[in-house]
Amino acid sequence: MAEYKPVILQGQKTNDDEILAKSPLDAKALGGDSSVIIMELLQRFKVRDVMKRQVITIPRRATLRQAQVLMRDNRISGVPVCEDGRLFGIVSVNDIIRGLDGGWMDDPCEKHMATNLVVLEAGMPIAFALRYFNNYTYGRFPVLDSNRKLVGIISQRDVMRALLYELSVEIRKLERKTSKSIAETSKEASENYFRREWAVVRNDLSRAGHAANDIKGILRERKIDRSIVRRIAVAAYELEINICIHSHGGVLVLMITNDSVTITAKDRGPGITDIEWACRDGTSTANDWIRSLGFGAGMGLSNSKRVADDFEIKSEIGKFTNVKCVFNLAPKKSEENSAS
Amino acid sequence: MTIADVVKILDGKLVAGDGTSPRAVGEVVANDLMSDVLLYDADDILLVTSLASDQAIRTAHIVGAMGVVVHNAKPLSETMLKVSEDLGIPLVSSPLSKYDACVRLHDAFLAEERG
Repeated sequence: MAEYKPVILQGQKTNDDEILAKSPLDAKALGGDSSVIIMELLQRFKVRDVMKRQVITIPRRATLRQAQVLMRDNRISGVPVCEDGRLFGIVSVNDIIRGLDGGWMDDPCEKHMATNLVVLEAGMPIAFALRYFNNYTYGRFPVLDSNRKLVGIISQRDVMRALLYELSVEIRKLERKTSKSIAETSKEASENYFRREWAVVRNDLSRAGHAANDIKGILRERKIDRSIVRRIAVAAYELEINICIHSHGGVLVLMITNDSVTITAKDRGPGITDIEWACRDGTSTANDWIRSLGFGAGMGLSNSKRVADDFEIKSEIGKFTNVKCVFNLAPKKSEENSAS
Repeated sequence: MTIADVVKILDGKLVAGDGTSPRAVGEVVANDLMSDVLLYDADDILLVTSLASDQAIRTAHIVGAMGVVVHNAKPLSETMLKVSEDLGIPLVSSPLSKYDACVRLHDAFLAEERG
């Protein structure tokens, strides 16, 4: 019997390290109670940040035997039955055992798969996922997007791994903080350091702008000058939209110190052929769909460059584009002197 | 001219956000291209647009707009209304064309100046 070639549902390419590195905690929370840190993590991490995006699936017509081979070769205990992103059911180890026992291993999966499914949505906080794992006995849940398409799968292990990683990062930070001498930490401690990342999904315009809106809120809470907040928000928004409409997905990073705010947009390709051309007003590779949504006029990079005090862009074809916009918060010495 | 005045002037309907806000319109920006809107450095913008999408509201929030008018009575999605509520941006639907809406707002500004 020919083995069934696994179908891998291609979501956004998942780089575990990158996903796990998302959303480091607010430095302010470090001084607080550890339960606060955990609660914040559970709310801030979304299912989409933790789930596996490459899901091995099988079509309805495939046999249980083919499902069994697929599960064995990929060392998984269940396989979603899915066609064109639509989820029809799940074949689990129990279904295979029943098939072996009953002698119907050559039946199509659709005949014996579980169809009464419990699923999670990609935007749900991890706290929801944990509740589901407590309430149901399933080892994993399929994850659907807002269009009810299968976009990933999540297991308890994925959640625990992500939480443990984040907590270990925070513990290391705490250890560093407490072990340094006062002299060593004086600069860092005096800096009101803050860093946060947002995942930006390719073509997901329903969420695009979300990070920029968050960033504006964070900066306003910190009483940063209104006109600077506006410039930062404009760059953040343009760069977020760029990741969404031009790249294969990426992250938007906010970093705040005493002296500056930095917005960095990192994406996973396709890269920019001619950076100078791309940074000119009115040059764009956007299609009609993007234009119909009010963007794609070729002003994203030039707008970001215009509002930033320092602007840096690096790109490699087929690999990535990184854009960094720095905004000075403290007046430069020359400006102070001229003012006085 | 507050958002409540805008609703009256444009024969419109407030579909999301606080209609009692005392914020007055500083400038009217009529544009469907959001990157253009992001270039305006003015306070209390009223954005008049035919772009009936979440991005119109998100853009308005970024530039600190006091409200958004979608003209030609374009149908507005539930998510757009929710984003308006969440970001505190009053959203008005007007049956007028963009040109007529702008003319009426201009006349209202002139009347305000005359006292």
